[in-house]
Amino acid sequence: MTSEENIQEGLLKKFAFLDGNIKVQRARRIFGIVDHGKFREVFESLIKDFGFTLLCTITGFDEGEVFSLMYHMARPDGIVLSIKTSAPKDKPIFKTVTAYFPDAEIYEREVVGLFGVTVEGLGPGNSYPLPDDWPKGQYPLRKDWKPAPKKGEVKDA
Amino acid sequence: MHKVIIPIGPQHPALKEPESFRIQLSGERITGFSVKLGYNHRGIEKACEERTYLQDVYLTERICGICSHAHSTAFTQAVEEIAALAVPKRALYIRTLIGELERIHSHLLWLGVAGHEIGFDTLLMYTWRDREVVMDILATTTGNRVNYGINTIGGVRRDISLAQVKDILKAVDILEERTKYYIDISTKETTMIKRLSGVGVLSHKDAVRLGAVGPTGRASGVDRDVRRDDPYAAYGELDFNVITDDHCDVYGRAVVRLKELMESYRLIRQILKNMPEGPIAVKAPRKIPAGEAVSRYEAPRGEDVHYVKSNGTDKPERVKVRAPTLANVQTVAKMLEDGQLADLPIVIAAIDPCFSCTDRLISIKDTKSKKTNILMWDDLHSYSVKWYRDKGIDFTKLNRKLQGKMS
Amino acid sequence: MIAAFFNLLIFPGFLFLAIFGLAAEYIDRIIYARLQNRMGPPWFQPLADLIKLIAKEDVIPCEANPRMFKMMPILALTAAVTASFYIPLWGERALFSFNGDLVVVLYLLTIPTLTFFLGGWYSTSLFSKIGAMRAITQLFAYEVPLFICILAPALLANTWSLSEMAAFYAAHPFYWTFNLIGFGVALIAMLGKLEKVPFDIPEAETEIVAGTFTEYSGKLLGFFKLAIDVEAVVGASLLAAVFLPFGYGIGSYLGFVIYVAKVLFIICLLALSRTIFARLRIDQMMEFCWKYVAPLAFVQLVIDLALKGVLIR
Repeated sequence: MTSEENIQEGLLKKFAFLDGNIKVQRARRIFGIVDHGKFREVFESLIKDFGFTLLCTITGFDEGEVFSLMYHMARPDGIVLSIKTSAPKDKPIFKTVTAYFPDAEIYEREVVGLFGVTVEGLGPGNSYPLPDDWPKGQYPLRKDWKPAPKKGEVKDA
Repeated sequence: MHKVIIPIGPQHPALKEPESFRIQLSGERITGFSVKLGYNHRGIEKACEERTYLQDVYLTERICGICSHAHSTAFTQAVEEIAALAVPKRALYIRTLIGELERIHSHLLWLGVAGHEIGFDTLLMYTWRDREVVMDILATTTGNRVNYGINTIGGVRRDISLAQVKDILKAVDILEERTKYYIDISTKETTMIKRLSGVGVLSHKDAVRLGAVGPTGRASGVDRDVRRDDPYAAYGELDFNVITDDHCDVYGRAVVRLKELMESYRLIRQILKNMPEGPIAVKAPRKIPAGEAVSRYEAPRGEDVHYVKSNGTDKPERVKVRAPTLANVQTVAKMLEDGQLADLPIVIAAIDPCFSCTDRLISIKDTKSKKTNILMWDDLHSYSVKWYRDKGIDFTKLNRKLQGKMS
Repeated sequence: MIAAFFNLLIFPGFLFLAIFGLAAEYIDRIIYARLQNRMGPPWFQPLADLIKLIAKEDVIPCEANPRMFKMMPILALTAAVTASFYIPLWGERALFSFNGDLVVVLYLLTIPTLTFFLGGWYSTSLFSKIGAMRAITQLFAYEVPLFICILAPALLANTWSLSEMAAFYAAHPFYWTFNLIGFGVALIAMLGKLEKVPFDIPEAETEIVAGTFTEYSGKLLGFFKLAIDVEAVVGASLLAAVFLPFGYGIGSYLGFVIYVAKVLFIICLLALSRTIFARLRIDQMMEFCWKYVAPLAFVQLVIDLALKGVLIR
């Protein structure tokens, strides 16, 4: 049995509710989905028990009814596990993971800036990556976002 | 002198790209540091969602001017994985070859910039002269000095001929000779060692904690290289060493990069020797089946991560790019703790930052505004020509004369 | 009267020094470029730069003190030119001379650095202020070794006048070889004075843009640049007069050629050093000057004192 399957099995043994939500796509690539409420315990276990000690990045999604975050975590032997969790659009609140990965701060700020989700526990700091004068309430990576026509565009400047 | 806050950027001679650092100084000592990024934001992630996969290959290639091949390869790899395409071996070898040539040109560029940041312009002039050797090779093999356009979904677009193989081997010999000389200088020249060692220290513990990638991490003893740990393209079949160093400072980062150059030369020789014959691409479908993939690539600056999600149409549902600089920029604050103002440029430069990689997504990307941009540029151009013509500076005659000479 | 004005303004005064300074800048730049495998500028480039700067508008920051801001470049230029009158250039005698002119020349050559400090300070920009602080910090590091190593040959010659020193060394050929350590020390100090690599810390462009000169533009910047060029030539002339005192009294034409050769030789040495070194940090620069350069200057002093006991009774 390959170590990817070992990880899959270990996870299922520990968290029975993950049944059917962990998928080994190919060598060194595992994808998983976890409920919002259970996310933290799975996440912690992945770091502590399974050795996923590197956070590659966080990808945000706009999936119609929900916003999702996918945490891409890697092990030193090259296995990448991407674990996704979702929150409803009317209450898009996620908890910060900066306690585990201090470098997650900038990835979380990116998701906040581009999707308009809330990440609880993120301290004050510069927004990223949108400029300071970006209009409030405009979240460009949402699927329904369209750039507003530029006002007062001067053609013969 | 009382405490002052000095702005470095968005425009500053030490920075080749716009980004803003605010440094709190007490005399010459740095007591506070904050960074503001995003000045290079072009909205590439959003733009990718509105273009076809093939267009996106070229768009991702334009995320960065230096590691363009890194981004396009990472993207194509992800798409090929979703579409389950069996990319021919020869194509993988050519990709690897271009990737290593790109690493050489990027590391030589870094060495020159590092020299400039510490006021050693001679090193800048020398390394950039030698860098032309590899740029010429890239130009002859791919048709361009940067943005090679060699990748396509399912393989590569150009084959390598025997004559080109000979040219590359000759160039590698020259470059190896020169790199040995630079290793000699960097490890012996006193003022250079003085300016580099003990500067911008990032301990092994901090490097792991803050997730430093690439040469920045490896110079702090983090033994991590995607090429070995998560082999892609042809790296699984090649023999190379992952260079690490335990100096944990800017000197270590320089040593790691220089030694990696030597490894790249070895890799290129192996690639050219072992390159199998065969086709260079398979036909890719226009519509990619639904699925998702994470692709990692060891760019010259560190690990480059692409995530692609498809929805069965000819356009991706979501493209996410994590450039290596974004992982490394967070270590800079640690490196600068209690540092000197004079060390600031070299410490920032030592992570080999590439802010156009880092700031991508968003922005206005509809065709209308694009058109306006072009128009404005043209207007500006004709305005400037007219302005000078009114002042009596007119190149029309000279142009005609030169054209006449050429034809 | 007319002769005096001619001497002051044209030859060997302001105009000559300005042209020679620009020529020296050209030589410095072309050597620097050639050593870096570049083409380098055409011969008229320094003059073209100067003309361009002078033709441009002066921009004075709102918060700067306009009087001080405008005065500093002129003061720097004046001080550098004035210093040259007391240095024997190609004869044994300088234009003006009195016992003690050596000290005056050294002080006059310190004034440009002080104007860099004041100019930077009064332009109130942060980069300028940091550059100004660095210029003055650096001044203390190289000025002491420079004074000591220039006073040492004067001790041997038993005079405080540059002209008499020249006469002494002309009368005792090869005595100048005793002062070679001092020559080395003085060259290092000159690098600091002229703010060249590895001591270009006050204008380290990658850290503080242009340091003192960040806010300067147009004519004022042009004068500063010219002052630095003139200071380079005058400084080199001083070094030539003190440490390379030979070739006097062989006719004014040949003497002139030898003088120019000596100055250019020193300029070449400075250009070479700026090619092969990286910029030091200010703390490293201080350490280097006090730990190594100052003791070397003292060694020179001791050598000259000892020689004086042995050779001159």
